Amino acid sequence: MAAIVRAWKLVLSMIVLGALAAEALPVFAHGERAQEPYLRTRTAHWYDVTWSADKLSVNQEIVVTGKFRLYSDWPDAVQLPETVFVSNATPGPVFARVDSYLNGVPARQSFRDLEVGRDYEYKMVLRARIPGRYHVHPMIAIKGSGPLVGPGRWINVGGTADDFNYSLTAISGEKIDDLETWGVSAALTWHSIWLVIAAAWILWWVRRPLLIPRYLALKKEREDLLTTDTDIKLGIVVLVVAVGLAFYGYNWAQSKYPRTVPLQAGTMYTPPLPVQSPVVKIRFQEAKYDVPGRSMRMVMDVTNISDKPLRLGEFATASIRFVNHQLPAAKANVAANYPAELVARNGLGISDDSEIKPGETKQIAIDATDAAWEIERLTSFLTDVDSKVGGLLFFFDPEGRRHIAEVGGPILPVFKKS
Amino acid sequence: MSTASVAIPVPRESSGADRKAGHYVRFNLFAFGVIVMVAMFGAFRMYQQVFAWEYGLDATAPEFETYWMTLVKIEIPVLFGLGFVCWGYLWLTRDRNMSALTPKVELQRYFSFTLWLVAYTFAIYFIGSFFAEGDGVWHQTVLRDTPFTPSHNVLFYACIPTYIFFSVGGFVYAITRLPAFSRGISVAHVLAVLGPVLILPNLGFNEWGHAYWLTEEIFSHPLHWGFVVLGWNALALPGVALQMIQRMVPLFHEVFGDMPAKPAD
Amino acid sequence: MSPNSREILAVSELPPEGAKLSRIWDWCVVAAVALLFMGAIHLHVMLTVGDWDMFIDWKDRQFWVLVTPVSMLMIPAALQAVFWHYFRLPIGMTLGAVLLLIATWITRYVGWHLWGYFPFTMGVPATMIAGALACDAILLIVRSSLLTSTFGGFVFALLFYPSNWASLAPYFIPIEHQGMVASVADMIGYVFPRSGTPEYIRMIERGTLRTYEGTTVWISSFFAGVICIFMHMLWWRIGLAFSTQRFVDSSKRFKKFVGLA
Repeated sequence: MAAIVRAWKLVLSMIVLGALAAEALPVFAHGERAQEPYLRTRTAHWYDVTWSADKLSVNQEIVVTGKFRLYSDWPDAVQLPETVFVSNATPGPVFARVDSYLNGVPARQSFRDLEVGRDYEYKMVLRARIPGRYHVHPMIAIKGSGPLVGPGRWINVGGTADDFNYSLTAISGEKIDDLETWGVSAALTWHSIWLVIAAAWILWWVRRPLLIPRYLALKKEREDLLTTDTDIKLGIVVLVVAVGLAFYGYNWAQSKYPRTVPLQAGTMYTPPLPVQSPVVKIRFQEAKYDVPGRSMRMVMDVTNISDKPLRLGEFATASIRFVNHQLPAAKANVAANYPAELVARNGLGISDDSEIKPGETKQIAIDATDAAWEIERLTSFLTDVDSKVGGLLFFFDPEGRRHIAEVGGPILPVFKKS
Repeated sequence: MSTASVAIPVPRESSGADRKAGHYVRFNLFAFGVIVMVAMFGAFRMYQQVFAWEYGLDATAPEFETYWMTLVKIEIPVLFGLGFVCWGYLWLTRDRNMSALTPKVELQRYFSFTLWLVAYTFAIYFIGSFFAEGDGVWHQTVLRDTPFTPSHNVLFYACIPTYIFFSVGGFVYAITRLPAFSRGISVAHVLAVLGPVLILPNLGFNEWGHAYWLTEEIFSHPLHWGFVVLGWNALALPGVALQMIQRMVPLFHEVFGDMPAKPAD
Repeated sequence: MSPNSREILAVSELPPEGAKLSRIWDWCVVAAVALLFMGAIHLHVMLTVGDWDMFIDWKDRQFWVLVTPVSMLMIPAALQAVFWHYFRLPIGMTLGAVLLLIATWITRYVGWHLWGYFPFTMGVPATMIAGALACDAILLIVRSSLLTSTFGGFVFALLFYPSNWASLAPYFIPIEHQGMVASVADMIGYVFPRSGTPEYIRMIERGTLRTYEGTTVWISSFFAGVICIFMHMLWWRIGLAFSTQRFVDSSKRFKKFVGLA
């Protein structure tokens, strides 16, 4: 199949789109950019995301871990996270899911009653299945609203798909050699048996003069010719065979697999991660998005309510990180292999980057300027009915400890350079 | 399909070619139509295989515009354009003197009409089954973004114009060439054509729901039931077949036997 | 040709050439019926109960057994009505069942497997052939639409679960995963992720109260049977109503256009 696809790719590239095909090769995302900005700036904020590898072979495993904060100013258009499934977004089942956890609790089932304003920690183990280069994201799905996608990282999978194997042993003792093929041949056999019987029944009638002659014979009240005694006897046989074979098949399966369980459907629960004792109070003042400058400017009053001086190290929203380059602890908080396209090159501009002393209230204006606003299609919040922006602020104390605070509010567009 | 011809009475006693089935059943144009459809639907499926995962996941990407929106911009005008050309041709070349139609030509046209309907059902298979479940493959597997997706761009904007081409084509053929279907308009035929045609405007309901409810992809969701109800109109085609029988039987006698034909309606 | 076939042709009084052409027309109609109803039944089923049929981890004891036969019965019942009423052919339901199963397997392979990379285990479909055969046979024997609805509709639904269990039982043996019980079907849904189809979206049994012999599946089957009785009555009539042979007079102006005025 792969060879056929390659051949077609070549042919279609040349015939249908010509030179355009070669031009458009580099960047493909997983559709997360097409998600509305309010879904990405005011729902789940993803942080501390790690991918254990960026290159692996079929059957090798990758571990994706991280945390998310369910943003307090939750948009009206999204259902509250009352039922949530922890998942991953990949282009199809190119990775097999081995394990997943939310706050250490197994996450095969969905979770109930997640709380906005609180943090959760996830872990998922994925086994490479189909070779290729894929964007792998953590994701949660919220009942009634759908998927919310975290940051994605490119992962290369080598090897051959045929080598993939996922075997299991049932509690009842059966050995499942491969979850991809288990039971398929039996199903095909049973379906073939039924198809043959049904085809024979249909052919029994179709082989005779079919529509117009039968229609005319019926008009002439010669029904006796259309359904003969032999037909009726055959009908009785077919009835007996259909009922008999159905229950024979049922009994056969019952004796072959005497121990079965229904689909498992309960929801899970985990309390959120413990609340960090708050170190700052944030009073949002205003936010503007400078359309030609691709820059978001936000003004806020920050009050340090801790006993240590603090500095602002990062503003993160929609999985894009604006990092204060002047603060080593903030820079160190960005893992070396974090996707570079999700870290703003210019960093975070801060009007007053000096320490905020304990008890001090300081007005800070931040400037988050990056082409990522456009590339990530985040500017359409200007056309939303609820034009607000939200994000997380990461403050650091002198020991390098990180403190997270939410910030957000209405945002105004600026269409002309001021 | 045969085109209109001026009906010239032919002598009843003609031996040879016009007593053979091949004189009445002409598969050439039909076979051509089916081959074109096979090639087109096959190419669409290959196109999805090759370009959907790579360029079809993000509707905001320039590659999506190049590979997927270009397709829509080509297929809608081309397919509907061909439709209008074909329907216009059928109308302009209509039989303008149907009361003088000979039974032989009429019988021939009944078979041509039958083949129009078979070609229509061929297109119906591809939208109702082949690409429709492919839509499930796509939307239940990836994140839904816009109404234009690698699945919809084939299912809605190629398959729908294709079956409309054949359904409306068959309808225009019948009302311009078959006396029974032009003297009166067949209710069953109208249902069989109009129901599936209305699937196109019903996209408004579907996409409105997906745009505002943000629902996850549930195929059995009531949001999709507009398609279901309109699809039921397929059940009207047996009615058309029964109407054809009403006229074909007297024609068989008229053409091949000694029994006089009943009036065309 | 069998004596019966010859007699039918004789009674029809078609001239030999007419009989030959009518046989060609038969095959055209067979092709049309096959293609049309592969499309129509599959579309109807996938948009009413498709999730239960497309995914192994939706095939539960409460809803799958209930809604699938009810949906699957509708168009085949209408076909059965037309084939029987006008041609005395007791094949409508079976034909519908066969066409649906073939169409389904084609898309499971071409769509889910080749395009979506899903293994066949994810999409093993259900079939209604057993019930459809029984319903057609009952119609032939009892020759009454009312009795066919009453017995055939009920048997159609009742045979759905046992006839499919033979194919599906292997997917319900128990597995231990992360210290919890899962059926193989649950595991297939979990292991091969669908980004647009989260676990909670499944409309499946969430638990039962008291049951007969510890399982609800037969109760669901019986309930499906009750609904199918009435659904069969309804769709038999819908089939006949849709196949109307009514013509509405066209306008004088139109008739003039085609030389009929």
